[in-house]
Amino acid sequence: MGMGTYILRRVFQSIALVFVILTINFTIINLAPGSPVIFMAGQFGMASKEYVEAVIKRWGLDKPLWERLLIYFANLLRGDLGYSYRYLAPVSDLILERLPITLFLTVTSAVLAFIIGSTLGLYAARHVGRKVDAALTTTMFVFWSTPSFWLGIILMIVFGIQLRILPVSGMINVRAGYTGVMYYLDIAYHAILPITTLTLIMMPQYFKITRDAVLHQLKEDYVITFRAMGLRENELFRRHIFRNAILPPVTIFGLQLGYAAAGAVLIENVFGWPGMGRLLLDSILTRDYPVIMGIYLMISITVVFSILIVDLLYMLLDPRIRYR
Amino acid sequence: MRRALAMLVISTILLALLPLAFLTPPATQAEKSPALQPITCPRRGGTLVIIHWGDPKSFNPDSQVDDALYNIAMQIYNRLVALDIDYNVVPDLAESWEVAPNASVFIFHLRKNVKWHDGYPFTCRDVKYTFEAIKKYRGIAYGLLKMSKLKSIECLDDYTVVFRYSEPFPAFLGFLAWYGTFVLPEHIFNKSEYKDWMDPKIPALHHPIGTGPFKFVEYVKGSHIVLEANPDYFKGRPCIDKIIYKIVPDATAALQTFLAGEGDILNNRPPLSEIPRLNKTPGVIVEMRPMPSRWYIGFNMLRPLFQKKEFRYALAYAINRKEIVDKAMNGYGYPAEGTYVPAIKWAYNPNVKLPEYNTEKAKELLDKLGLIDRNGDGFRDYPNGTRIVLRLLIFTGAEEEAIARVIKEDLKKVGLDVKIEEYEIATWEAKVVKQRDFDMALCDGFEGPDPDNMRIRFAPGAYINFANYSNMEFKRLLDLASKEPDPEKRKELYWKAQEIMAEDLPYLPLADLVAFYIYRMEWHGLPWHLPGVVGLGVYERVWWEKGTPVTTTPKPATTTTAKPAAPTTTATKPSPTTTPTPRTTKVVKTTATVTATVTKVATTPVSPGAATVTLVKTVTVAKPTTVYATSVVTKTVTATTTVTAGMSPAMGIAIAIVVVIVIGIAVALARRR
Repeated sequence: MGMGTYILRRVFQSIALVFVILTINFTIINLAPGSPVIFMAGQFGMASKEYVEAVIKRWGLDKPLWERLLIYFANLLRGDLGYSYRYLAPVSDLILERLPITLFLTVTSAVLAFIIGSTLGLYAARHVGRKVDAALTTTMFVFWSTPSFWLGIILMIVFGIQLRILPVSGMINVRAGYTGVMYYLDIAYHAILPITTLTLIMMPQYFKITRDAVLHQLKEDYVITFRAMGLRENELFRRHIFRNAILPPVTIFGLQLGYAAAGAVLIENVFGWPGMGRLLLDSILTRDYPVIMGIYLMISITVVFSILIVDLLYMLLDPRIRYR
Repeated sequence: MRRALAMLVISTILLALLPLAFLTPPATQAEKSPALQPITCPRRGGTLVIIHWGDPKSFNPDSQVDDALYNIAMQIYNRLVALDIDYNVVPDLAESWEVAPNASVFIFHLRKNVKWHDGYPFTCRDVKYTFEAIKKYRGIAYGLLKMSKLKSIECLDDYTVVFRYSEPFPAFLGFLAWYGTFVLPEHIFNKSEYKDWMDPKIPALHHPIGTGPFKFVEYVKGSHIVLEANPDYFKGRPCIDKIIYKIVPDATAALQTFLAGEGDILNNRPPLSEIPRLNKTPGVIVEMRPMPSRWYIGFNMLRPLFQKKEFRYALAYAINRKEIVDKAMNGYGYPAEGTYVPAIKWAYNPNVKLPEYNTEKAKELLDKLGLIDRNGDGFRDYPNGTRIVLRLLIFTGAEEEAIARVIKEDLKKVGLDVKIEEYEIATWEAKVVKQRDFDMALCDGFEGPDPDNMRIRFAPGAYINFANYSNMEFKRLLDLASKEPDPEKRKELYWKAQEIMAEDLPYLPLADLVAFYIYRMEWHGLPWHLPGVVGLGVYERVWWEKGTPVTTTPKPATTTTAKPAAPTTTATKPSPTTTPTPRTTKVVKTTATVTATVTKVATTPVSPGAATVTLVKTVTVAKPTTVYATSVVTKTVTATTTVTAGMSPAMGIAIAIVVVIVIGIAVALARRR
């Protein structure tokens, strides 16, 4: 079997997997007790029976579950993600609108976390057992166990309320209403706190994995050989150890990018950032099933395919791994 | 070395760009003083930033329940009549109205000189279209306005509209002034190519066109909505230039955003524990008003245990309503006394009293019922020996949980075991309302704007009468009241119904909610200070202390010609002066149960940019013994000219650039070997 066939098979498997995930999601969401109608009809007592009936009929909620699932798949194959109950707008529009806003946060912080985390991990490993290593490890441990929304609120209070050097929430300064280049600078300025929070939360895993990988490499025979040959420590770390140790963090990074499109629900909510996470949370709270399904579709596609890509990359990077 | 050079080059370029970053755009408030309109503005200009809790669903305010849109729609659209802070009907697009003696025919005289935001004249045609559309497309007001009983809507001429009902409907005006009744532009909505009024092709669903004081400018989903003053507004151009709704869904984050000075009004209900802190913040005013909304529990009358009136009474004696207010609502509420909300004053029967807290009486009643502790575990049991466990179903939420815990503790004191079950609202509805799978259920609800709400909520046959209350006399009285044109007779019917409900006690009211109005001191003309003048939530008369003073003699604008329904208003407004007002006293008295007195004394500035402000704030509740919040705050306020928090983004970016440069140089140096 050639490599092409293998890739093709994996791609088909991934597509099938996405459909399985969607079926499970659809069923679970729709089997939840209660109905989205109550959110469309609002507070009890306000909506008349006629109104509720009209809503149920308009959205086809009176049809059995399997029929709705088939309709959903049929629409999906035609590229139609459905229509939001809440916003009365196509789901694809809602998602596309939020995607760049969210990716700016998640991808930037993923890259920052990867770079800073693995650099610090490498540094700590070189100074293993010393005070620097202990301090870094403790700090990372603290960040790893901090709830993200709490860290966000603390940073918000310190930098936004006490020091007053960063904005508290939102994406732009609505009072000023900047245009042109200033508009984008304004967005960047407002993104500092959420990106910092996300970076601090994600950094520890890169730190830990890199540090452990380097320590593992240090025990390898080739390190002893090179040291015996009198290779300079700097050279040894940069040329050999780093290259071997960077594979695991790269894997994590790839997987994390898969989740990037899903947004950061808690952080976006705390900082009033109008991204995908907010859209997902709003949709869950108001039972906007089509939007929830649309976002899950996107998440499952990105995650399934980023796993596939990481697998294929491994094959290229490590000659010992062979396709079967 | 080459790398270091490259770094240096990059650093130089960035440094060269640095001055650009300091080029802050001009002052944030465009301070125009257009004296084009007759005005009542002491000062003009300013942007009112409202921290808002959610995204609107659409821009059709009549089609579906959309609480997030409601307040925004009030600035863009008008109704025929509106409700003021005291839930009295005030004129809006209709300047006066007549009610036929049997309350089944309503004639509205519309304002002339009204224009839609696109310049098109407003006429009776728009009113006719709106209400016919509500009927045809099952708008949210369909049930409340009894559209099935509406025979016709006629235009006698361009400015006279007649609603004819097939039966008396005295609650019509109240509901007409409330929810889902905004008048829509017929010339935009009514085109044959649209399948209904929610057709995405209708341009007004993306860019709403109304007749209101503010015009729609921009909406960025999840971020903000911008409205600007409508220069052609029929009551004159609003004093402020813009309203911006900044959307912050998280309550804590919204509070922080407000405290950071990024907003002027806080629409999110803050965590109750934060109210004292907000109250203490200089420049911030927190006012409270009772709302026609309350917490209550319903007893499942399908269960044999609850069918016994003594049992329901025992629970009522055992639950300490004052404790619920103090412990679960941080004191921000009023223990329920009767079976209807006191905020709707005319319909509230003050003689109806719920059982007073009395554990001894509760125990006595339970003992009489034979529900005693048979195995000595401290809890009462059924005659067969199994412990009585009452399932209390609540919505997910901190306040709900706290109330439920107080109830559980109270009932434990009389030997009853309560199991609290917490559900998200749709599940709660499925279990409680649809399946009746509960013993007690906690619920909160708005019981205004008309007592006809009692019929919709508690009468036998009503969808959300989850307790299964089935007293037909109660239903008969409410049905009669809903058709009784004579207000005095109507009141009597409602009073009688409240007595019956208190006697039967299928629902136990717990506590009335309080509405918070949280705003910055420098804003005036707010709707909660203007009963009888503007609709609750309409910011058409707001003006800003720091705006440009108006030099021309203020001429009263053409305001309401019809006499406001009831309230007597005494409002002493600060006189317009050009210098910082040396002594500003604002006294607002209303006929509502709460009298809010805000006295603000500002002395001469000590030094440029700093002023000593003594803020005396007293909110007294008219109920004789209870004073819920009294605070005297003396503080030195450093008056800064910037309203926005901290520095401009340019400064921030500049700092960021400097940091990058420093890091760059450091790296470059480190690399040099």
